[in-house]
Amino acid sequence: MNGKIEETVKAVLNRIVLVLLAFIIGGIVIFFIGENPLNVYYILFKKSFFTTTGFLNTLHYAGPMILTGLAIAITFKANIYNMGVEGSLLSGGFIAGILGAQLSCLPSVPLKIICLIAAALLGMGYAWIAAVLKIKFRANEMVVTLMLNYALAKVLEYLTTSVFRDLNAGYVSTKIVSNQAVFLRIFGRSRLTVFFFVILVILGFFYILMKKSKQGYVITAMGNNFEFAEATGMNVGKNIMILMLLSGALGGLAGGGWMLEDQYRYTLSFSGSPGLGWDGMLIALLGGHDPVGIFIAAVFYAGLKTGADSINMYTNVPKEIVALIQSMIVLFLAVQFFQKYKIPLFKKRAKEA
Amino acid sequence: MKYMIKTVDLTKKFGDFTANDHIQLNVLPCEIKCIVGENGAGKTTLMNMLYGMLEPTEGKIFIRDEEVRMKSPVDAIRNGIGMVHQHFMLVPSLTVFENVMLGNEIEKYGVLINKKSEVEKVSALMQKYHFDLDPMEKVENLSVGSRQRVEILKMLYRDVSILILDEPTAVLTPQETDELIADLKELKNQGKTIIIITHKLREVMDASDSVTVIKGGRTVGSMLTRDTNERELAQLMVGRDVVLTQQNNHYTPRNAEKIYEVRNLTTENIFGKQVVHAVSFEVHKGEILGIAGVEGNGQSELVKLLSGLMKATEGTVSFEGKDITNMWPDKIRKAGIGIIPEDRYAQGLCRQMSLGDNCIAGYHDKPPVNKYNLLQRKKINLKRDEMIHKYDIRVGDINGNVATLSGGNAQKIIVARELSEHPRLLIACQPTRGIDIGSIEVIHKRLLEYKAGGNSIILISSELTEIMSLSDRVIVMYKGQISGEVEPQQTSMTEVGLLMAGIHTDMEGQKK
Repeated sequence: MNGKIEETVKAVLNRIVLVLLAFIIGGIVIFFIGENPLNVYYILFKKSFFTTTGFLNTLHYAGPMILTGLAIAITFKANIYNMGVEGSLLSGGFIAGILGAQLSCLPSVPLKIICLIAAALLGMGYAWIAAVLKIKFRANEMVVTLMLNYALAKVLEYLTTSVFRDLNAGYVSTKIVSNQAVFLRIFGRSRLTVFFFVILVILGFFYILMKKSKQGYVITAMGNNFEFAEATGMNVGKNIMILMLLSGALGGLAGGGWMLEDQYRYTLSFSGSPGLGWDGMLIALLGGHDPVGIFIAAVFYAGLKTGADSINMYTNVPKEIVALIQSMIVLFLAVQFFQKYKIPLFKKRAKEA
Repeated sequence: MKYMIKTVDLTKKFGDFTANDHIQLNVLPCEIKCIVGENGAGKTTLMNMLYGMLEPTEGKIFIRDEEVRMKSPVDAIRNGIGMVHQHFMLVPSLTVFENVMLGNEIEKYGVLINKKSEVEKVSALMQKYHFDLDPMEKVENLSVGSRQRVEILKMLYRDVSILILDEPTAVLTPQETDELIADLKELKNQGKTIIIITHKLREVMDASDSVTVIKGGRTVGSMLTRDTNERELAQLMVGRDVVLTQQNNHYTPRNAEKIYEVRNLTTENIFGKQVVHAVSFEVHKGEILGIAGVEGNGQSELVKLLSGLMKATEGTVSFEGKDITNMWPDKIRKAGIGIIPEDRYAQGLCRQMSLGDNCIAGYHDKPPVNKYNLLQRKKINLKRDEMIHKYDIRVGDINGNVATLSGGNAQKIIVARELSEHPRLLIACQPTRGIDIGSIEVIHKRLLEYKAGGNSIILISSELTEIMSLSDRVIVMYKGQISGEVEPQQTSMTEVGLLMAGIHTDMEGQKK
């Protein structure tokens, strides 16, 4: 067991170091603004982790990122690069919003289930396009999924501004979902809803899938050595399809859930900026493509988001400082990322030498 | 000047592994020199040292009788040495002349490229060496043979006097090979010295003036081509000094029940070249069928076909009466065939995964390891411990990765895994390549035990002694076809060597 534990400890240490580095650089900037960095960070963490409402809000924001993080992890771990989680999330959110508004005659539970299933299916269908192109025509899935995001965003923008536009709203948006479709806030003043428990169940399911099941074994084998996976009879094409569909379903579900628990209507800034799908990528990397790691990373990252407003309120530091820290984490992660998954070019060189 | 290139005791070590061991190579000016040897013999290492890509550990290189030290290919080109790699380094979307001039563009006004003068120069070069190419054609529209000519032109433009070609015919059709040889002879007549690395003996005989044979990193022979023949070269290339302790003493009668039948199996590689051509054979119950041949004669592809990693364009494979042509590896294993793949670390094992995970690969669908599609960690570890014990696998950290094992112990994992589910046929490809004697003995012992249990083995190996001492029957492959079948008891190594070189009484008939 020694080797495994050592590896895990190393991976965790790596991440702690990079997060600390990001905070140190943020601290330097705060210092030049003329505030005490320690004080600012104290407020940030106190509000988002050590007050009940703040912590519950943090969990609320972590929810969709747990799902998108998982969506990224199951494909990245198998060396498939599905950059289309954002697209799955948008399409899932959109369809859940439309159905939630149109099917207002249905009672609460069936309506929510229909909305979420439709969201997952549409997210899947969206990922299916890239999977088919990869398997049948060997199109690079990274490029296809990345570009399709923009195509999809434009399609949804068109639908939102024309067919499905709510003319009573003062801004571009679809109709608000009916009351039966909404996940209610159940924890006092916090935004947390019962959907969070759905997310925890999904997380548990993926923990077993990735860590204990045959599918998880195949994912690891494909990610480490494609040729080995093929030679030992893992149908690589079929597995690419399964993983892409799972990833798309997770993305769609994240969008559907976000619609019914937080947004209630599809606007052009539904997923925020940089977008929950993109956040998922950071979270998957920060969490080491591990379900537990993803949970921790998502909660931590959501904590930064919740704490940002408090910083604005209680200090002279603008809340953009959090964006700075986030981007520093991305930057340092990129370094880590390339160390772990060597670029094929360098690998080949090393082999030849 | 006596020698164009001369190496004295040239040695290259990678850690403990000696890839080149006191190589003596003498190349005369204006000759075509062939360097032959099997895969892994150290040919490419030698060439990389001559081309400045690797620095020798010991020994000296003399070019035109002067000692040189080359640190990069730039030094080599400065010394007049050019190399044409096996995998072409061309830009497909650029034209022929642009590729030739890449990095040496002729400039106009300091910023623009003088296209006209570039085309003229390249055309002149083509005329001088009688290369039939259109300088304005895009490389992506060219055949493989023509692309190779562009590579050669690239080197000629840089005015090299020594040209090294690494496996130049590996991707060529027979016609293109003939054209290449003609081109090379023309270059020789115009004063170039040419070194060809190859393992195709016919081309050696057709093209070269002299030949040096490398085996296991050592020069084992150097002679003029006219003083030797394919048979002698084949023997020099494959002759082994390994003493094998395990012998197959129980020959299976040839009238035993047929369990595996291959009919007219044919396939093409990604370049569209036919690499396996109408191969037919059968395996009887309780028999070890050896497949011998100089590497690169279609055995690798044949194994890939038989193990489901490559698709046949024609022909059938049947096992115990069922058709299993072009089945996936998992289906083939389910049918009752074990597979030891050719490349241990690429196809057989996953270095980054644990010993336990590697012990179940390919069988991760079966109970007790797999229950309701969940993997039973305890059962996996149990299986792993059994294998480690039975095959005497030496491991440092039992929970560690396969990467920590030596080659021999890693190979034992594959053999243990493939035999663990009691297949009725085992396809064993290079089961003991590059591993220590102790591990070879364990593996051979297990293979013979397995055969004694009434099972069959297809044994593919480049170690002729291994094939001869274990097999009941041996078929020999040459140029993707079966060039003959022998019984090891009644056949000498020399006869097999002859077949491996493609010299066979009814060869001509087969060719048609």
